[in-house]
Amino acid sequence: MAQFLLETVWLVPCYALIGGLLAVPWSPGIIRRTGPRPAGYVNLIMTFLAFIHAAIALPATWNQPPYEISIPWLSTAGLNLFIDLEISSASVGAMVVIAGLNLLAQIYAIGYMEMDWGWARFYSLLGLFEAGLCALTLCNSLFFSYVILEMLTLGTYLLVGLWFSQSLVVTSARDAFLTKRVGDLFLLMGVLAIFPLAGTWNYSALAEWAATAQVDPTLMGLVCLALIAGPMGKCAQFPLHLWLDEAMEGPIPSTILRNSVVVASGAWVLIKLQPVLSLSPLVSSAMVAIGTLTAVGGSLIAIAQIDIKRCLSYSVSTYMGLVFIAVGTQQDDAALLLVLTHALAAALLVMSTGAIVWNSITQDVTQLGGLWTRRPVSGLAYIIGTLGLIGFPPLGGFWALLKLASGLWETQPWLVGILITVNVLTAFSLTREFCLIFGGKPKQMSERSPEVSWQMSLPMIILLGFTLHLPLVLQSFSLLPNWANLNKDVALLLIWSTVFGCSISSVIYLGDFIPKPIRLPFKPLQNLLAYDFYTPKLYRMSIVLSVDLMSKFTDMIDRLVVDGIVNMVGLASVGGGEGLKYSTNGQTQFYAFTILLGVGLLGMVVTWQYWGEQFLNLMF
Amino acid sequence: MQLQYFLLLAAALFCIGIYGLVNSRNAVRVLMSIELLLNAVNLNLMAFSNYLDSTLIKGQVFTVFVITVAAAEAAVGLAIVLAIYRNRDTVDMEQFNLLKW
Repeated sequence: MAQFLLETVWLVPCYALIGGLLAVPWSPGIIRRTGPRPAGYVNLIMTFLAFIHAAIALPATWNQPPYEISIPWLSTAGLNLFIDLEISSASVGAMVVIAGLNLLAQIYAIGYMEMDWGWARFYSLLGLFEAGLCALTLCNSLFFSYVILEMLTLGTYLLVGLWFSQSLVVTSARDAFLTKRVGDLFLLMGVLAIFPLAGTWNYSALAEWAATAQVDPTLMGLVCLALIAGPMGKCAQFPLHLWLDEAMEGPIPSTILRNSVVVASGAWVLIKLQPVLSLSPLVSSAMVAIGTLTAVGGSLIAIAQIDIKRCLSYSVSTYMGLVFIAVGTQQDDAALLLVLTHALAAALLVMSTGAIVWNSITQDVTQLGGLWTRRPVSGLAYIIGTLGLIGFPPLGGFWALLKLASGLWETQPWLVGILITVNVLTAFSLTREFCLIFGGKPKQMSERSPEVSWQMSLPMIILLGFTLHLPLVLQSFSLLPNWANLNKDVALLLIWSTVFGCSISSVIYLGDFIPKPIRLPFKPLQNLLAYDFYTPKLYRMSIVLSVDLMSKFTDMIDRLVVDGIVNMVGLASVGGGEGLKYSTNGQTQFYAFTILLGVGLLGMVVTWQYWGEQFLNLMF
Repeated sequence: MQLQYFLLLAAALFCIGIYGLVNSRNAVRVLMSIELLLNAVNLNLMAFSNYLDSTLIKGQVFTVFVITVAAAEAAVGLAIVLAIYRNRDTVDMEQFNLLKW
């Protein structure tokens, strides 16, 4: 049974896709009588099937070599495109995580989208996302990974733009699409440039090629820079990070998926490409630099946010930055572990805050407070999510960070410093959000705040359980790093940094001795962080401005010069006709004159050879 | 006496005729200028006949025809001028510019 399911595991993306398609008929314009709810239920069933299928197939992959399926897609002169699928425990495991998280997010959405009519659109897009992500994990070809990433970019545009009657949603969907698109286009350049070098797009073949490749370092540097630009946009890394902040305008259930999984799709490609990327030391250090910048910058910005969702979105950028560092230092396993633990913890955090938003309406953390006694489930979920994300043993995030840090300890100790700093800052920001929402006294907006209905708390609790059990699961699969090989100093440092960040934050925000809202002594710094380093302004002043000016200039050239030249031809003909008609002036004598003139000139031309020379000699 | 002088005289007469044809405002003077042109032609014909074809003198025969046809043409021309004059009460060539653009 398990073997059969394993052989047909490529069906998993199809289930989700079918679910997405089946949801469409319940759009308000098609089935007008039943309401939109069946769309959600159908999708839920299909996702459940996908999850069960992948989950049963997973044990059969254990300790088995990955096997590959190659389906011919297109064969033209000299180019054979194969849809390469790799079925390994990593890919099936990732599908379990994706389908599972999507299942929980969809159950959550049944509660959250209670008062919404747009279920068909919402659920079909969720199905599309699940299908795309599952296909991405199976896909073993760089080319088809790119294809799927582009589909997901379009999906992001549609999903963020779900409630398109709000103006901020429209601008954020636009930014999400364009920013990711720019990254994807650079990725396409890299994808196209690596083919002549390696002659293949198959990840395994690329890794083999990279092991022995002798390539010009400049060339390889450029290709690899293009290859990391795609994941940079996908993973919301500096400077392509604004879209994730703005994408928080979308509905929260989709945010669950985005924060945990969609953003990680870039990281997945990055991890798969690691053998190629390590060919260029320049690119490795660039990745470390980008990751460091994003991790530190993102965690600092997260501290200064007041929007409950944006606090979390910057942590996502931060953790993806850590994944960049891990891949940049050739630690694939740490990167994969980081993606997994981050996915569960981030989803739990978003679910918890979404539950708060649903009943408290405001997203402003400064207007919330004192919810702990009345919202214990959400609060507990938030705490576990936080602890699962930052380095707190024995939860998952600790092991991932520890693995990364011990790998860096010998070679690049300063990166361990960065890691510790990021951990302190993230611990601080998440605890701050917790204290502001759940701690303190109730404010006007959170005066009466009941706990959410079971559709929203059930997936939260299930995910809470998964987050708690993650270390056990990892241990049973012997995926946890061996304690003996790990650096205990680093472990202690991590624990202490977590304790430090959390305690400082709770003392500041729960204690009464600092007036709230907290003002930094240096106001511009606080604003700088709160406004995300003024990134929108930076975009508008640089890229947007130049493209805008250039397009206006081109438009002007087109209207004035190109159109003008063609119109000038017409105008000249019209003017010529208008002017030359006056040669027909009605005077018979003038006609006689022109006839004689013509005859005379023709005669002169014809007889020129008999007298022309003498005439010219005579004259000159 | 050479042929060239006759030809030059005829050409001069032709040119004067052209000048009169193009410049006259009176329609009758235009007809008169046409007569000058025809006479210049006649001079040519006579000169060629005399110097180049003095035995068969075909040019002189031509000249007789030209004179005849010129008389007929002048008669028709004057009739046309009269017909126009009846309608428009003038023989000024510059008033006859109705067929323009």
